[in-house]
Amino acid sequence: MSVIATKAPRPMRAGRMTLRRRRQFAGFLFALPAIALVIGFIGVPIGQAIYYSFTSWNGLTSQWIGPSTWSQAFHNSNLWTALQNNALLLLSVPFALGLPLLIAVLLHQRVAGWRIFRSIYFMPTAISWVVLGLVAERFFAYQGTLNSIIHAFGFAHTNTNMLGYESTALSALGITFVFTMIGTNTMLFLTGLATLDPTLEEAARIDGAGRWRIFRSITLPHLSRFIQLAFVMTVIALFSALFSLIFVMTGGGPGYATTTMEFLIYQTGFNQGDFGTAALYGIILFVLTGIVGIVQLRLIGSNE
Amino acid sequence: MTTLATPPQETNEPERPALITPRKPKVGRWALFAVMVGVAVVMLYPFWVMIITSLESEQQFLSGGGFSWLSWSGLSSTIPVGQEVLSSTIVCSASIFVILCVGLPAGFAFSKLRFRTSTSVFLVIVSAMMVPLQAILMPEFVNVTKLGLTGGYFGAILVYAALGTPFSTFLFTTYFRGVPDELIEAGIVDGLGYVGVLGRLIIPVAVPAIATVTVLQFIQIWDDLLVGLLFIQNTNERPITVGLAVLAAGRTTSIPELMAGSLVSALPAMIVYLGFQRYLVKGLTMGIDR
Repeated sequence: MSVIATKAPRPMRAGRMTLRRRRQFAGFLFALPAIALVIGFIGVPIGQAIYYSFTSWNGLTSQWIGPSTWSQAFHNSNLWTALQNNALLLLSVPFALGLPLLIAVLLHQRVAGWRIFRSIYFMPTAISWVVLGLVAERFFAYQGTLNSIIHAFGFAHTNTNMLGYESTALSALGITFVFTMIGTNTMLFLTGLATLDPTLEEAARIDGAGRWRIFRSITLPHLSRFIQLAFVMTVIALFSALFSLIFVMTGGGPGYATTTMEFLIYQTGFNQGDFGTAALYGIILFVLTGIVGIVQLRLIGSNE
Repeated sequence: MTTLATPPQETNEPERPALITPRKPKVGRWALFAVMVGVAVVMLYPFWVMIITSLESEQQFLSGGGFSWLSWSGLSSTIPVGQEVLSSTIVCSASIFVILCVGLPAGFAFSKLRFRTSTSVFLVIVSAMMVPLQAILMPEFVNVTKLGLTGGYFGAILVYAALGTPFSTFLFTTYFRGVPDELIEAGIVDGLGYVGVLGRLIIPVAVPAIATVTVLQFIQIWDDLLVGLLFIQNTNERPITVGLAVLAAGRTTSIPELMAGSLVSALPAMIVYLGFQRYLVKGLTMGIDR
């Protein structure tokens, strides 16, 4: 705050010092709104969630209970069902990465009209997962597209209703998730391929390497960083972006068959009014995504 | 994306195709093309379903086909699309405005006007990118409600702004690291002051970064459900995504009308996406593609 005083002439060195201080002070002021917003709306609620996870809380009044809330929560079968659903959905991640990788490699061959294809492939990325969930519901419905396709292949009396049964609903959700991730991941991989030096492939080809060999020994290693990033983004989306899909496709059902952690938090808080337990589930989700987040920070960090 | 040494115009390359596919070049190319068309059909499927289904009446939909404008002409009486698109627009533009106003100066500070502890503060803000809203949903909801902000748009705008700020701060910081220090020093020597430097020198060079943040956040906020669902309590102020989701979850609205509403909601995001594709790609690969 000694800034104002330095307007008067002063020895060289002191002037420099205050100039530096002035710069730092300006920097702090410029960063302040961002710091305040993030602390107020993200930092403070994390602390509150930890506190309230030890209480019985209905949103208005809370009563301290202590660590027994945690042991009680881990005895709740719904929590384990949700965690299991999340774990099972992880099985879709290889497809959410593999298919886009294949599509990106195909696009990279640059057949006639590849730019148009590129735009088409990315188009679903722009629309809401609410809308994609509605469309997916049509696809899997009893009178939907999936059954039409099955009938067209000659199985006229085979009818599926994947969203209607506990055994298949989660698979349908996983398939929809893979579809929704294709655009983003293809975009990532295509950007990665564009940074690949084409003369490298050319040289390998002249040396007699086959296509598969070139892909495995040159393309894939080059893409490793992009694949890592896509992996982290996909897993994070899996833990925290399925809400819209679940909300319109299944509502978490049948039973708890498609209830993931994030949906369980919503249900526990807003359908059952048990804010304390919902806050506790939030902490669990926070830890889960935190583990993935640390991996991502490492990736960003190692790049700079 | 077009930084390759060879220009991507297929017709001007007499030699390259021969190098790529020494064996059976014609058949390979056609097979590839066929696969690409197949993928395109899959990716266009949602749009096809929305268009076809919205052009049926409810009876036609249930009995398996037909053509009718009924779902479109009756749309606004079932789904208040006009009001909902307006709400979405207000929430989107206000949130993006806050995100830019907060993130841009912060990015400038973290890259050029570093203060004591600025590195650790920056790391904390960037880590906040990883916190999913669901993890802090309950306290957030109670806080915003207690502040009395769920009545209008303000609660949702602030939550969106807070969720978008870590990413925009990160993006602006990495972007401004490429701006030479001399530019800022020259401005200070000229007596602009730091606010002047920010306004007259930094913002003009930041236009591509501003575009990237705007496009990414627009699509994210326009498409979001959870924040709009919980932080806008007044049903007359619902954004379109929320309106659609609530009607869909209720299972009483006719599917053709829902599909018409879906198309309306998808259109603005698609226009933005098709118009600003390259900024989207830039934002997604930020921090890795440099």
